[in-house]
Amino acid sequence: MTTPMIQLSGVRKSFGAVGVIQGVDIEVEDGEFSVFVGPSGCGKSTLLRMIAGLESIDGGDLVLNGQRINDVPPDQRGIAMVFQSYALYPHMTVAQNIGFSLDLKKVPKAEIAREVGRVSELLQLSDLLNRRPAELSGGQRQRVAIGRAIIKRPRVILFDEPLSNLDAALRVQMRAELQKLHQELRPTIVYVTHDQVEAMTMATRIVVLNKGRVEQWDTPIELYNNPVNTFVAGFIGSPRMNLVAGHIVGNASTQHFKANAGWMVSMDGRSLAGVVGQQVTLGIRPEDIRPVASAGEADMQASIAIVERLGAETYLNVRNGEDTLLVRAQGDLAMKPGEVVQLAMNHAAFHLFDQSNNVIAA
Amino acid sequence: MAGVNSPRQGAYTALAYVTLIIISIFCLLPFVWMALASVDSNAQLFLKWPDSWTFDNYIRVFATENGTRWFANSLFTVLSATILVVIISGLGGYALSRSKAWWKQPFLYGILLIRVLPSTALLVPLYKILLTANNGMGSLVRPLAGENYRAIMQMVGFIDGYLGLIIVLATGQLPLALWIMKVFFDGVPKDYEEAAILDGATLVQRIHRVLIPLALPGLAAAGLFAFMSAWGDFLLPLILLSSPELQTLPIGLFRAFLRVNEIDYGLLAAIATIYLIPAVIAFSFARRYLVQTFSGGVKG
Repeated sequence: MTTPMIQLSGVRKSFGAVGVIQGVDIEVEDGEFSVFVGPSGCGKSTLLRMIAGLESIDGGDLVLNGQRINDVPPDQRGIAMVFQSYALYPHMTVAQNIGFSLDLKKVPKAEIAREVGRVSELLQLSDLLNRRPAELSGGQRQRVAIGRAIIKRPRVILFDEPLSNLDAALRVQMRAELQKLHQELRPTIVYVTHDQVEAMTMATRIVVLNKGRVEQWDTPIELYNNPVNTFVAGFIGSPRMNLVAGHIVGNASTQHFKANAGWMVSMDGRSLAGVVGQQVTLGIRPEDIRPVASAGEADMQASIAIVERLGAETYLNVRNGEDTLLVRAQGDLAMKPGEVVQLAMNHAAFHLFDQSNNVIAA
Repeated sequence: MAGVNSPRQGAYTALAYVTLIIISIFCLLPFVWMALASVDSNAQLFLKWPDSWTFDNYIRVFATENGTRWFANSLFTVLSATILVVIISGLGGYALSRSKAWWKQPFLYGILLIRVLPSTALLVPLYKILLTANNGMGSLVRPLAGENYRAIMQMVGFIDGYLGLIIVLATGQLPLALWIMKVFFDGVPKDYEEAAILDGATLVQRIHRVLIPLALPGLAAAGLFAFMSAWGDFLLPLILLSSPELQTLPIGLFRAFLRVNEIDYGLLAAIATIYLIPAVIAFSFARRYLVQTFSGGVKG
């Protein structure tokens, strides 16, 4: 096993009495595209800034390539960062912005020009080198910010919500460009976002953060398939997973989930004898529920509250008593609010969580 | 846009223009009188077309009167005060913007009070303090200077010396300049500095290569405000300076006006015109930066 590029062990940080990072243990392998994701205020940006050296570390160890760097100044860490605002120096041209770090190191002008040329070609900025940031579009500014980061040939590039200022179409395009860049240069990337779609599409591994703690840390598809708690279950996946409160009824041989609203569904194939009678939360993704024609195939019936017809698929917002479920049905369904619909669930895709919101192993 | 061309609308527009023209004439008239009188060989108190055109009045300001000296004195003291204001407000404004200290707000409103209080009311205590400082400076300079004592005290003295006037002028302009720079730096995101830190810039490089270029519009606005306001100050040089060789332009103008024999309107108008020019030049520079500073010119 090779040493990880970045290793955080027991890392803590407080602002006054508020603990914003409460003991984080993660590793980022060399060349990995690691995404920190979580709701605003979860500490993901603070954690990134601690890796960059812009925030001090109150406790624990930050190790870069085998060397503890808690107290190493930011510019000597071999880390570059792309800011959410890009922070391009408005008084400098694109070329000056990209070459600034080399200029500070008193690298000869000819070599700076060569390096700026190399980077700008890679990022398709060659025609814009004499422009100022104010004359660039959002996507171009983004590329200049990336150019300023990669010209230093850093071991690690940090991205702080870099796509949040772009419109939706440009975001999709920049997402693809970032992935291409990662495949070409193979830098270690740590990327912060609150957008779980960005995380799912780009990451080799995702760190889900909540309230300064790591909730789960794994590959995107593993997080999607096996969330360890209700927070991860609700955060990863779009539209979000349905979470229904209820309890387990049955005996030693067969068990059912009984929702607080009254409907029941069998939990076949699972050994849940130990939790009979306990309060649980059932998680089922919208794509694992489908409308069926006959009550015989159905697990439950519900009345439709809202219909969203997107063409390729149809979102049904259905109600059964107190419970509201989102159904993501394939194809276009001409259904109307108020209609009663029979729903079948994919029992293999059930997620079950206990009272402390942690997953109950099958 | 119905009714734009109706007669009533037209009448209102005409009325508005007539009113504005009258106000403009009212404002412009003193300047017209001044310009005409300064080139009139026989200028009078009343507005009139020059009897004959002449530049004699201007020549007299510099040849017979001590105009060059007055101008140089004004420029030297006001420019020095402006430079002092720019440096201190640049550093102080940055600190006030980035600091989270509890005394920040009270301090900011406190210094604004300096601006609000009429300086005339503070003259006596100010004079007393400066006199004490001047005596202190005198006892420092005297053993070192010997026979150059008077010449040196004219440079570094607090009463009847350049230094005193420069410091007092700068102090008067600092509150507004600090506010301008504080508000300006509030609008400069910290990201720029952090990006520079990660690019490997030292503190000095960050100030020199990133912060000063970013702050330039604000510094220009603060400096030009200070210059224009200090250039127009009359009371402080009048009270603090007594040696004829230290006189500034407004004092020269004032003393020429006070002469016992007949008032020489041509000469007064010429001095006044010369006095106006730097302020006008400063303002024409200021306009550009003021718009930038007060309309969020930092957006990248």
